[in-house]
Amino acid sequence: MRQLMAAALVLLGAMSAVGSSRPVAKVQLPCESGYQDLSPSGTQLVVHCKDRSVRVVSVPEGTERHVFTAGQHANSFLYSQDGSWLAVGFEDGTVEVVPSQGTAPSKRWKPSARRIDQMYFFPDAKTLVVGPVDSPAQVWGFADTPALLATLPFEFGGLNACSVSPDGKTLVAAGDDTVLRWYDTATWKKTREYNGFLLETFALTFTPDGKRVLAGGADARITVMDAATAKPLRQMPPEAGSYVVEIDLLGDKQRAATVYLDDAGEKPPHALLWDIATVKSAALNSDAPLTCGTVVGGKLWVCSADGKTLTMSQYD
Amino acid sequence: MDFTRRELLERCAAFGAATLVTSMPLSALATEWEAAEKKQPTPFCELGPFYKREAPHSSMMRVPGDSGMPLAVSGVVYNTRGEIVPNAKVEIWQTNSDGHYDIEGYRYRAVLEPGAKGSYTVESVMPGHYPTRVCQHVHYLTTAPGHKTLITQLYFATDPVFDGDPDKNFTRDPLITSRELVRPVVIKGDPKQIVAAVNFDLVMETL
Repeated sequence: MRQLMAAALVLLGAMSAVGSSRPVAKVQLPCESGYQDLSPSGTQLVVHCKDRSVRVVSVPEGTERHVFTAGQHANSFLYSQDGSWLAVGFEDGTVEVVPSQGTAPSKRWKPSARRIDQMYFFPDAKTLVVGPVDSPAQVWGFADTPALLATLPFEFGGLNACSVSPDGKTLVAAGDDTVLRWYDTATWKKTREYNGFLLETFALTFTPDGKRVLAGGADARITVMDAATAKPLRQMPPEAGSYVVEIDLLGDKQRAATVYLDDAGEKPPHALLWDIATVKSAALNSDAPLTCGTVVGGKLWVCSADGKTLTMSQYD
Repeated sequence: MDFTRRELLERCAAFGAATLVTSMPLSALATEWEAAEKKQPTPFCELGPFYKREAPHSSMMRVPGDSGMPLAVSGVVYNTRGEIVPNAKVEIWQTNSDGHYDIEGYRYRAVLEPGAKGSYTVESVMPGHYPTRVCQHVHYLTTAPGHKTLITQLYFATDPVFDGDPDKNFTRDPLITSRELVRPVVIKGDPKQIVAAVNFDLVMETL
């Protein structure tokens, strides 16, 4: 799964958007890098160096804020939705939550002995879902000393994807066991589940109004689900021979940038921009090899690295 | 009626069915016997992204005309005390010989039911390599009442990636958690119909 997620990061970077673009920043990278993670505020970049170290730099200054050496075996990185925290998952099962700004201390704890593959921040940026490989998911509050709030079991395997409703009241988790489970975050009781998928789900996202959940995975399609009933409402056509690894809703709340990996890992990844209402898609074509991308202020930002110089562009 | 090894030894000695020709006390002998029979749990190896529910119950995954080296994998499901685990369910899945998983259907996916004897056999082909994984492998998901679910993968000592030395080179695939998961391959059958035979026992931990 680590490889899958790493590929997803590359892939998200490998897409380019429909429409016009304008450069927003140039950053000098501290190393040769094939892919990066851009913070949702567009002000920080996690640079995955070819020497296997990971360096966190500010945008556009390029000032190095943190270094994770190759020997530290950092495995997964995730920014909170407001960009204020960066969570880092390590191969030995440790999690570190690092403030993106200011001088607040980092929080570091070890939820598991297994590699941390998945992480997900609640909208409040005070709660983190942690997914050790092939293990139950754990929900941690980290506003003070990190405290375990809940453990979310699966029939087998671990967490593949997770999303929390905009009001923070509902969490949906997708497990290796192919089941989607709904939880009430006040009681941590499971309220609903959907077991109609035969294959694993790798991407989940609530719509901004909290009424729908978009799910995608090995079945190569987006399924739009009713968040209240956990029932599927409609599906986008599948992309044969591939699987969905990421779904990001753009600011118009109508279009979802969707990243697909090739089943056999032979063909290059591709991305489509789906209009969820009309069920129409547009291919996202790329002229240059791009190395990162995320939604910043509702707009799609992508990066292209040439040597140690990275150019960041915004697509409208 | 089930006896522990210790009870069996004591009863055999008491009824004269066994004569102990050793200076070792009976209790120590039983302890040694139990220790010798104990098995280490099969190492965990991650599930991966291509699991599919509701695979067919079948021990024949290969069909006539399939490309690739025929493969026969067999084994027994034990617990860590060395006892057979009855009524286990073993789900396996792998790529075809070209390194492709069947996502649409259920080729090279099966559910095996070892039954009371705990033994299983499955006929397949040697899985292929594919770009995002280093080694050929077969996925296993084994469940049984009263036992921890076992998620692991089987690898082959003949895999070219190991350059003939899996002891030294098994870490070339970063997902291989233990040398123990790389199993010897024995070529069987007549020259016109050879089969790569592999033994892969599964050892489950009790809850």
